[in-house]
Amino acid sequence: MLHRSIKAWCGLLLLWGLTSSAYAQSNFTLDDVPALKNKKPIHLILETGDGHSKALPIIEAFTKKTGVPVNVERVASSGVYGKENVELMAGTGHYDVVYVETSWTTEWSDLLYKLKDLANKFDPGKSAALEKEMANMSPSILATGQAYGNQMVLPFYTFDMTMWVRQDVFDDPTEKANFKTKYGYELAAAKTWEQLHDQAAFFTRKKGEMLKGQPLDHDLFGLSMQAGAYQDNDETTARLWPTGNDWVTVVKDGTGKITKFVITKADKEALKTVLAEYKNDLQWDSPGALTANFDFVVAQIGNGNAIIAPTIWANCTVWADGILKEKVPGGKIGVYPTPGGQPYTGAWSYGVAKSTKNPEAAYWLVRYLTSYEAGLRMFKEAGLIPGRIDVMETVSKNEPVYPLGMLAKYHIDIWKATGKYIPNHYYYNTKAGGKVYDNQIYVLAPALTGEKTVEQVVEDLTKQTIDLQNKFDKTAPCVEEK
Amino acid sequence: MLSNSPPLSGLAGEAARKPTIWETLTSERYFRWTLLIPLLVLLAVFMLYPLIYSIYFSFHDWGMQGDPIFSGLHNYRQLVFDQNFLLAFWRTLEVTLICIVVELGLGLGLALLWNRDFKGQNVVRGLALLPLLVAPLILSLLWNFILDFNFGALNHILSALGLGRVNVWRPSIALYTICFMTIWQWLPFSTFVLLAGLKSLPRDVFEAARVDGASRWYTFRRLTLPLLSPLIMIIVVLRSMWLIRLFDPLFGTTRGGVNTELLDWITYRTSFVMFDIGYGSAMAILSWAVTMALCMVMFRQLMKQMAPKT
Repeated sequence: MLHRSIKAWCGLLLLWGLTSSAYAQSNFTLDDVPALKNKKPIHLILETGDGHSKALPIIEAFTKKTGVPVNVERVASSGVYGKENVELMAGTGHYDVVYVETSWTTEWSDLLYKLKDLANKFDPGKSAALEKEMANMSPSILATGQAYGNQMVLPFYTFDMTMWVRQDVFDDPTEKANFKTKYGYELAAAKTWEQLHDQAAFFTRKKGEMLKGQPLDHDLFGLSMQAGAYQDNDETTARLWPTGNDWVTVVKDGTGKITKFVITKADKEALKTVLAEYKNDLQWDSPGALTANFDFVVAQIGNGNAIIAPTIWANCTVWADGILKEKVPGGKIGVYPTPGGQPYTGAWSYGVAKSTKNPEAAYWLVRYLTSYEAGLRMFKEAGLIPGRIDVMETVSKNEPVYPLGMLAKYHIDIWKATGKYIPNHYYYNTKAGGKVYDNQIYVLAPALTGEKTVEQVVEDLTKQTIDLQNKFDKTAPCVEEK
Repeated sequence: MLSNSPPLSGLAGEAARKPTIWETLTSERYFRWTLLIPLLVLLAVFMLYPLIYSIYFSFHDWGMQGDPIFSGLHNYRQLVFDQNFLLAFWRTLEVTLICIVVELGLGLGLALLWNRDFKGQNVVRGLALLPLLVAPLILSLLWNFILDFNFGALNHILSALGLGRVNVWRPSIALYTICFMTIWQWLPFSTFVLLAGLKSLPRDVFEAARVDGASRWYTFRRLTLPLLSPLIMIIVVLRSMWLIRLFDPLFGTTRGGVNTELLDWITYRTSFVMFDIGYGSAMAILSWAVTMALCMVMFRQLMKQMAPKT
């Protein structure tokens, strides 16, 4: 009896040991980093901003553990491409760990190590350990960090788009009743652009009119968008993808190799439609939207000046919510998929430059910056959303508190929904991504401000995209369907 | 006497001695080159070399990867038909003209006003210099905060006064807002240059005009303005060069949107945002050529003004 009992206890202990070690393995920590012989310093870019500063202790912990100094250069996101591109192209090795925005991954793929190769070289668990770690990450976000099927970078934080609504206003019985009376259906987060237009018109109000039974002390706008020459293309993407079209259609053969880039007639027509619609939507937005970036949208929603932000980065939610709590007592933000259900997505990621003098330390720093531990910390302390399902599940289960719990659930759902279509999109298959992306910003803006007609802008964009694509990506020709 | 005179052989020896490097460098013949050469070397390294390199790239296609591909005049042909570039070019000329005219007009007015002694003149003049002391990029960010439609100080003040909000960034007027920001910063420059000019004008000529019964307007038109004209030309030449490459006010505000893209901005985004180095170089070379041509004409005019009148 005693013998059997001891056996049972031993079995239980073994089972506990096995499960706990499996858990530890899936949650990679600094203890998993082997002793590094190469102590040459690592240089990397960290974005400016208070939120990103929360990564500094993470980097310091890496240095403490490995003995490898890390030089951190703080650069605003808009300056990252220019700085890194020069160093990478010249092969200076200035940046060991490279900060990569989604649309540049393929463009820089010849200048970055494939992470699998580095894992095989430096990771005791070889590439299997890396794959195990990646199994905890969002497949759609991982896909945005691939080039020709190879994982080049791992996501540090994601920029999935979302739609914000003022949840407290949407839940208000008076507003709900008035909306239903006027439009004949329930007030709920818009699933289509038509519904959005109804809501935008409904909530655009003048000072003195009522909101939630109280008179407004300022003008109220139904929408808030970022139509300035900053990231108007991302908002347009969130409108374009749900039409089933893209900026450029990527044509692949049976083996998955890209044979052609084509701007189809349907792509052009879809772009004309969504740009016209976007321009039309500006009637329910503040005139300031024409020179606005995302910070303007955050301020508009946070200050209670607008009710819906149809296309905004989910990672700004905590920031906007912080302002809203202060400025509008009882104010609450709800996050939903953008109308049409295919929000723009991607991530700011880290990869390893081929010109680095310390690829081993660079590899482990990338692994640590994108780990569960770092991701959870960045999410909870800075509101930046890592591309990790395990972090989202932990927060969703253990801390389903507004707004982090809400954001975690949103991301789990949206990653499932977007996983299928992401790998085929143009941005994630072109070597001219950085150039075409930035050019779009400037070419699109005149359509929204009315400086040019939508037709003119689409023609300009078509011509310039073909020029840039053919100039900077020689893998396959880019043509216009006539 | 004799004992103090150097021996003949000694004199001959001194005449035959080679001058030291220092003596050569500081000799009357070479001194000007001694002073000029360091500057010329710096100019060659930091100006001439990049200029020649840019000219080379302007005839090539290059995106910073691989070898540049010779494309002949393709980039320049493309420029001539590039609507965005041509628009930026005309906008730049418009901004240059507006800013110079306003800065000169207001600058001259303020200089005439401040040429008289008044209580607190040092404080006023000191404060007026402040805009010139702030980095243009910082100023553009500050103006962005001040002029923002929803959150800007200007609209807060207008609202508090019961007036409506104004959108100074609407496409029809945004370029003039950029002009306003630029004039605001650079007005002290023309003001103080002209004030210095006014202070140094010969008093006897004006006394003579007064004794002869010349009116104030006549004195201003026939004496003050002609005597200030070399300074006015200097302001026009310098401000033209600076305004043709106006960049900072756009960076913190419109980033080239709402009808405000200027020559330097389109060149910057082509070269350093899209890294289309060949095409960007062609843009830079063309705007450099235009600046040079304009400045040469004005410089010649300036030299004429400054030449002694016979």
